[in-house]
Amino acid sequence: MTMPRTTALTALMAALALPAMAQQRDLTLFTDASDPAPKAAFEQLVKGFEEENPDVKVTVNTFDHEGYKTAIRNFLTADSPDLANWYAGNRMAPFVNAGQFTDVSDVWEENGLKESLAPALSSMTIDDKQWGVPYTYYQWGIYYNKDVYKQAGVEVPKTWDDFIANCEKFKEIGIDCLTTGTKALWPAAGIFDYLNLRTNGYDFHMQLTNGEIPWTDDRVRKVFAEWARVLPYTTPNVAAIDWQDAVSNIVQGKAANYVMGNFAVATFRDGGMTDETLGFMDFPEITPGIPRAEEAPTDTIHIPAGAKNVEDAKKFLAYVARADVQTAMNETLGQLPINVNSTVGDDPFLKQGFEVLSTAEGGIAQFFDRDAPAQMAKAGMEGFQEFMAYPDRLDAILERLESVRQRVYKN
Amino acid sequence: MFPRPVQSMSPAARTTYQIALPVMLILWLLPLLGVALTSVRPSSDLAQGNYFGVPSYLAFSNYLDVFRNSPFASYMLNSFRVTIPTVIGAVALSCLTGYALAVYRFRGNLIVFFLFVAGNFVPFQILMVPVRDLTVTMGLYNTITGLALFHIAFQTGFCTLFMRNFIKALPRELIEAARVEGVSEWQIFWHVVLPLVRPAIAALSVLVFTFIWNDYFWATVLTTGAGTQPITAGLQSLNGQWVAAWQLVSAGSILAALPPVAMFFLMQKHFIAGLTLGAVK
Repeated sequence: MTMPRTTALTALMAALALPAMAQQRDLTLFTDASDPAPKAAFEQLVKGFEEENPDVKVTVNTFDHEGYKTAIRNFLTADSPDLANWYAGNRMAPFVNAGQFTDVSDVWEENGLKESLAPALSSMTIDDKQWGVPYTYYQWGIYYNKDVYKQAGVEVPKTWDDFIANCEKFKEIGIDCLTTGTKALWPAAGIFDYLNLRTNGYDFHMQLTNGEIPWTDDRVRKVFAEWARVLPYTTPNVAAIDWQDAVSNIVQGKAANYVMGNFAVATFRDGGMTDETLGFMDFPEITPGIPRAEEAPTDTIHIPAGAKNVEDAKKFLAYVARADVQTAMNETLGQLPINVNSTVGDDPFLKQGFEVLSTAEGGIAQFFDRDAPAQMAKAGMEGFQEFMAYPDRLDAILERLESVRQRVYKN
Repeated sequence: MFPRPVQSMSPAARTTYQIALPVMLILWLLPLLGVALTSVRPSSDLAQGNYFGVPSYLAFSNYLDVFRNSPFASYMLNSFRVTIPTVIGAVALSCLTGYALAVYRFRGNLIVFFLFVAGNFVPFQILMVPVRDLTVTMGLYNTITGLALFHIAFQTGFCTLFMRNFIKALPRELIEAARVEGVSEWQIFWHVVLPLVRPAIAALSVLVFTFIWNDYFWATVLTTGAGTQPITAGLQSLNGQWVAAWQLVSAGSILAALPPVAMFFLMQKHFIAGLTLGAVK
């Protein structure tokens, strides 16, 4: 008699307990990964997480990336998800300062992320706390046409002086040494960032984008003086064309070098370039002895302050930070993992980029429009574009930027 | 008779006409031809800088990629979900208002009519902020209902002007004869007036359909996500984060333009009838 009763009781308890155990917990993730590759990468990420945490159901809501920039301001205040993706550096500062992102320093502490995600630590830190987890970045640098280099009979330069000397050779055979397309403004900022990082170093660059240094400073003028050296060898109509249009200058061999991000490789290849004809080099040295800093915009995932399921969201962040997860995800993205223990795919440009970034002792800058606040970034990039067309207006441009600086950083 | 038939013109005038017509046509259609050509151009041509030359091959796959790379079908469906209720709503309301304003003589008739007309003179851009705030407080922001309701409200002004003038031109005796027979007002509207204004309804439907289908401004102001945005706003999402995929945007634009074009050709008879009806008595 006793035995069956106990069994019945156990069965009853099990029946009661089961629904509670099988109860699904929900996690919502808002992302702007609307392009095919990022979309696949996020699907893969979510699938992997759900396999390891069968009791959590992740719902992904994908926005188109232009719309996302305005949507995030709406949903962070109104209808907050548990996770949202965004960008590191100054781009996340307004949300952090407004208390709309959750402090996730404990996730960093518990999982040893300060070591494994070291390259992005400084750009994820505000007020000594970490506000999210980075999952991908990509390098910037100079992409060049190897055939054109052979045609001009020049070597890949190590220093800026060599680079300018090469430009003279390119000019002799009627090739633009440097090309870009600044219609959308930002490509010019890539050139400025590197010139400043190489002339004055990472710390100065950060102070400048933080508004601590006047634009009329002599060290800033020095950067523009270096820039002026290459302007005579730059494609003349850059302000009229988009960055994609300038890609065809490299493809057709009308230009030799292009300061760009690694995403451009896909377009170069689309235009018919191969690993035999397309090369990548780190931006050459200007001031000897400065610790080498690089530019690598970082994408991140955050927990909004209004998240409902913070516990599982933190579990998700820890998962995203893992080396094997970042390896797999970036394989799909065609970009670089942040985790130093991750491995990179077979692509020669990714390998070079990983090498360049993981050995950058000077630091990793995000990009001018992510490091500087929005208003300063816009005025700055307009200034760069104007300078490229009218170098003799430098004084007026710098004074204008200085007055913008005094207004923007006042509070 | 005006205009005079081309055959009766002087030979010189006829030659000029025959030369000028194709030239004008090509000039007029050039941008459209450019879009059509880009829509079958492979992306490699664009990366090589071949923008206006002969495509290296015809990449009809662009039309498939449009559906593969973005929720294009859902944008298209959203467009129908906004446009069709708007056409029905605006035309139905304006038939009623048009009938009331044309048939009944009451104090303030003209003032009400002018209010409808005046609504058309308000540049809609200045309504952007108040309308957005209104839809947010009503909980209709980023919904198809919100977008359709706004379009109905805004289009009814123009439609009322159109319908009122059309009904006003109908012989009043018809309505009076019906009244003498003791037909109720609703039945007069339904059985006498509506059948007579059918050409106007058809013409108005085509017009409103194209207006609303092609609306970009309110689509971007009142909706944000793929679940609610109509096709005009959705075309943007065919561009990648960095790469502007012009070949896909062109293919998408052509697909997006098909429904209003089809609508026009199917309803052409009504359209022209509506424009000329009542012009000669």
